[in-house]
Amino acid sequence: MQIDIKRIAKLSRLRIEESEAENYENEMKNIISMVERMPEISDELTIDADNVMTLRPDELADVRISRDVMLSNAPKVVAGCVVVPKTVE
Amino acid sequence: MNLYEYNAYELSSMLKDKKISSRELTASVFDRIEEVEPKVGAYLYTNKEAALAKATEIDNAIANGEDLGRLAGIPIGIKDNISTKGIPTTCASKMLENYKPVFNATVIEKLEAEGVVMTGKLNMDEFAMGSSTENSYFKSTKNPFNTECVPGGSSGGSAAAVAAGEAIVALGSDTGGSIRQPASLCGVVGLKPTYGSVSRYGLVAFASSLDQIGPFGKSVKDVALLQDAICGYDKMDATSVNRSYSSLYDGLSENIAGLKIGIPKEYFGEGIRPEVKAAVMNSVKELEKKGAIVKEISLNSTDYALSAYYIIACAEASSNLARFDGVKYGYRAQNCDGLVDMYEKTRSEGFGREVKRRIMLGTFVLSSGYYDAYYKKAKLLQKRILSEFNEAFNDVDVIITPTSPFEAFKIGERSGDPLAMYASDICTVTINIAGLPAVSVPCGFSASGLPYGMQIIGKKFDEQTILNTAYAHENIFGAFKMPTL
Repeated sequence: MQIDIKRIAKLSRLRIEESEAENYENEMKNIISMVERMPEISDELTIDADNVMTLRPDELADVRISRDVMLSNAPKVVAGCVVVPKTVE
Repeated sequence: MNLYEYNAYELSSMLKDKKISSRELTASVFDRIEEVEPKVGAYLYTNKEAALAKATEIDNAIANGEDLGRLAGIPIGIKDNISTKGIPTTCASKMLENYKPVFNATVIEKLEAEGVVMTGKLNMDEFAMGSSTENSYFKSTKNPFNTECVPGGSSGGSAAAVAAGEAIVALGSDTGGSIRQPASLCGVVGLKPTYGSVSRYGLVAFASSLDQIGPFGKSVKDVALLQDAICGYDKMDATSVNRSYSSLYDGLSENIAGLKIGIPKEYFGEGIRPEVKAAVMNSVKELEKKGAIVKEISLNSTDYALSAYYIIACAEASSNLARFDGVKYGYRAQNCDGLVDMYEKTRSEGFGREVKRRIMLGTFVLSSGYYDAYYKKAKLLQKRILSEFNEAFNDVDVIITPTSPFEAFKIGERSGDPLAMYASDICTVTINIAGLPAVSVPCGFSASGLPYGMQIIGKKFDEQTILNTAYAHENIFGAFKMPTL
């Protein structure tokens, strides 16, 4: 099994140092060779009848958390908005 | 005897009878924290002042004859991946070092209504990924029975705090063994409840289809009390199951005459220390003497469970942890050249090695061309594992296995090899895959004085039978003895 660790890192929005790449790749290969032992099962996936998820109705909830409080953990806020690097020129 | 050494159920009576005050009890726990925390390192955050104020409030309420919960005034520690309003919830990650939730997890709301006294937030493996608490960004926690050894993980702080008397009871979370394995390594009782019985709202998600919050205590009764307080339907968790939950504490019985115990041979094979097997089988023999009927059973797919577990858990983690991008909360890298650069720098600097490895494994197994080969196969295996358990439960009431294949290991001994660390979970992951309840109870000690643990597995929502079995076992083998620190 070949693993393109750089590509996987890119898809994961992670950056891997050149010096770490080989280590990660070897560890991943070991894990993959463990999981490749899984048997073939000819069956279809179904939803667990004991745990059918019940979604809440899509309606406005009264959470009583102010905008300021809600934004209190954001790394950068200006005028009640989250600030991120420019995405369009 | 110091107050911190008592069980919650004993302290609960002492508080109600006004023999002690919650303030005295809370002060005793904080004195103990000051005394042993430099050796154990169970906590990431403590707030003595707020805890003492809360204790006084509860004392006044008791004096006024107010109707309070059974855990009112009892000091409890909380794993640091459970959201606590205004109190740091870091998941032991640099990513959330300065994060203070703006809401409480449902379990915290329930405990507040009960009147508990929160001592602080407990150390863990980063984002609950690990089996030794060595993956914490901040520090590693030590095993109170031997401080050169790990306490297990990922809820290592919770298990160590209870074992060391730094909390009377504690909450942890269990995705593949993260309550039971540290409970086993620290000689305490830890329950992984049935999936859906305790709300996960406010638990920072690792693998949503496997995660479950659960209790730690020094005794089966304490675990039953805490589980009673946190279980129940919650509309905020779509996987919460709406049914009635009767009191496990009130239902406890040590009568196990006629109880059918299954012993799956696959859990006593290669990789399990002979001493661990002997300790578990010795316990089973004692249960047999009390009238239980023991039967050998087979769970054929056990060998593949660890593989299925790591695929499902990592796939879900890669998706869940996508939210940590430096935008709305948590760590953000500096000097970024555009949005994608910010995402990559933030995540690379904010996550530890194990977390990155699991995100990448999850991304890989879900990526185009590999989905059927890995993720779909793992989900089919999950279905098969559950049906094997269901079949086994047609013949037996509980299934008993070791909790961990070995006792606590030395700090650093397994941290360099992911597969050696993952082997810690071979007896516990199947239970999360099948969504079943299981409790770990102490069942003896190694020659060097480290605890062994036994896992009792039950049918979905049949926590009562596993706790009754655990209670009968505890009555045979005696109460928890706190290690000397």
